[in-house]
Amino acid sequence: MKLPLDAGGMTDRDGNSKTQGTGETGSAGAAGWHVFLILYTCLILFPIAFAVSNSFKTSSDAYNTILELIPRRPTLDGYRQVFAKLPFVRIALNTFLIAASVTACKTLTSLLAAYSFVFFQYRGKKVLYFLMLITMFVPFTVTMIPNYLLITQMGLRDNIWGVALPQMADVLGIFLLRQAMRGIPKSLIEAAKLDNIPDLKIMKDIIMPLVRPAVISTGIIFFINSWNEYVWPVLILKSVEHYTLPLALQMYISAEGGTDFPLAMAVSVLTMLIPLVLYLIFQKYIISIFAMTGVKG
Amino acid sequence: MADQKKQSVLGYVFLIPSLAAFCVFMFYPLFYTVYLSFFDWNMIQPQKKFVGFQNYVILLRAPNTWKILGNTFWYIVILLILNWALPYLVSFVLSFVVGRMRGFYKSALFLPSIISLVVGSILYTWILNPVSGPVAILLKPLGIRLPFWTKTDGWVIAGLCIITTWKTFGYNLIVLLAGISGVSPEVIEAARLDNVPLRRIFFDIVVPMSSATGIYVFIITIVQGLQYVFTPIKVITQGGPNYASSNLIYMSYHNAFTLFKTGTASAASVLTMLLFVILLLLEFRFVERGVYYEN
Repeated sequence: MKLPLDAGGMTDRDGNSKTQGTGETGSAGAAGWHVFLILYTCLILFPIAFAVSNSFKTSSDAYNTILELIPRRPTLDGYRQVFAKLPFVRIALNTFLIAASVTACKTLTSLLAAYSFVFFQYRGKKVLYFLMLITMFVPFTVTMIPNYLLITQMGLRDNIWGVALPQMADVLGIFLLRQAMRGIPKSLIEAAKLDNIPDLKIMKDIIMPLVRPAVISTGIIFFINSWNEYVWPVLILKSVEHYTLPLALQMYISAEGGTDFPLAMAVSVLTMLIPLVLYLIFQKYIISIFAMTGVKG
Repeated sequence: MADQKKQSVLGYVFLIPSLAAFCVFMFYPLFYTVYLSFFDWNMIQPQKKFVGFQNYVILLRAPNTWKILGNTFWYIVILLILNWALPYLVSFVLSFVVGRMRGFYKSALFLPSIISLVVGSILYTWILNPVSGPVAILLKPLGIRLPFWTKTDGWVIAGLCIITTWKTFGYNLIVLLAGISGVSPEVIEAARLDNVPLRRIFFDIVVPMSSATGIYVFIITIVQGLQYVFTPIKVITQGGPNYASSNLIYMSYHNAFTLFKTGTASAASVLTMLLFVILLLLEFRFVERGVYYEN
């Protein structure tokens, strides 16, 4: 589809302008853009519907009626096979334990660092903040060999804690929570300090209630990212019972597809289930906090 | 005065947990990788052999390296079109052209960002399967045949970029929307009253006034995109056919964990890092100093 950027091209194409007024900032061409956006949205959402639909089909229906989104004979066979062929509960638990501990650690270290950057004055503060920010530009290939060797030396290879350990701090969290805390009046904290309230108590009783939405959304982002993580776990985890969900799913990929189609779709659905539920509940938070990551400050 | 000192010490103390983690798992590895790039080693030998710049020479003389650098260039070009130019345009349309259903589009287009790229990879290998996939079946009556894209030079890069775009488009869109929201609606309204075509409003008003965010997204599209695309490469093609889908990032991984050549792997990583540093400098040159500054 050609994308006409000027209104003239659009009216030529459509010959009419049905959808106008009511809330549309610009009227001319809006209808054409709605058509484009709806098609694009369907294209983006199709793979998810495709996975859900085929995960409930029998093996032969999945191959023969691949285009039909509603299964003719809905079945849980795909899901039964997941539990029969994989130590699925164990794999889901591994994924959860890694994601939960990484989220807890990153949130805590980010809160402390953000508090330090916003409410303390000390030498080298700007340099330290800058050093942390540029870690966003370090490709993972630069750290993977030394970290792999380090985790191996510590005897944590093929161990879920070997996956979690190098991820105790995250510049994204420091950045986002720093942004949130900068909105708090400094005088409020100074008054508390004059009253000799210890800093940890200030954080817990004054800061936390004020930045709770930012903390929750940062935590959700950490959790989802860790849940989906592939590159680092694939280097560290070797045996199936230590796998995380994306690693288990990877076993069902080949360039030609594979034989266990409904099973592969069932594992896909189970892998995206938790992030999808979190997204449906917290989407406003998640979108608004992601929007902040592009803001300089 | 003593209190002041106590305060600054406490400031450092609060920073220690994250700083320690960064030092051990980020800064030390960075220097160690640079160090390893000057040695011949395979992760197992007790002795590392110092070879100076030889790893870099070997790397730059290997014919595959130039093919892979070429691939990296094409990855960048396609990702910039799909993941920077397209979301830039869509964010403009969502901000100033369509009014209704804006929230719906935003939530729906962002949704794949929270799904694992391994899920995306497996879904697309089925959806784009050139024989039995739904796209192939739909196109067959029209006489269009899908190429065997996982096995064909060129197409393989396009296919892997499409998968990556599925995940990253929404994030870039959200960031660009935030950037464009800084453009004052009055200016756009005035331009529209003067019948300025949308194309010119986009290129002459919106893009310059949101250029800081635009450049930021341009750079992260390259920096993050080359790393994101690693996942579909690894699970679908393993860099094949014959290195046609490998990029700088996959080359490092392949040398380190398939060929166990830590020296050339590290040299490739250092070169990647240099590329990213150049991009970082561009960011400072244009964004931090500010050509047009949207705030």
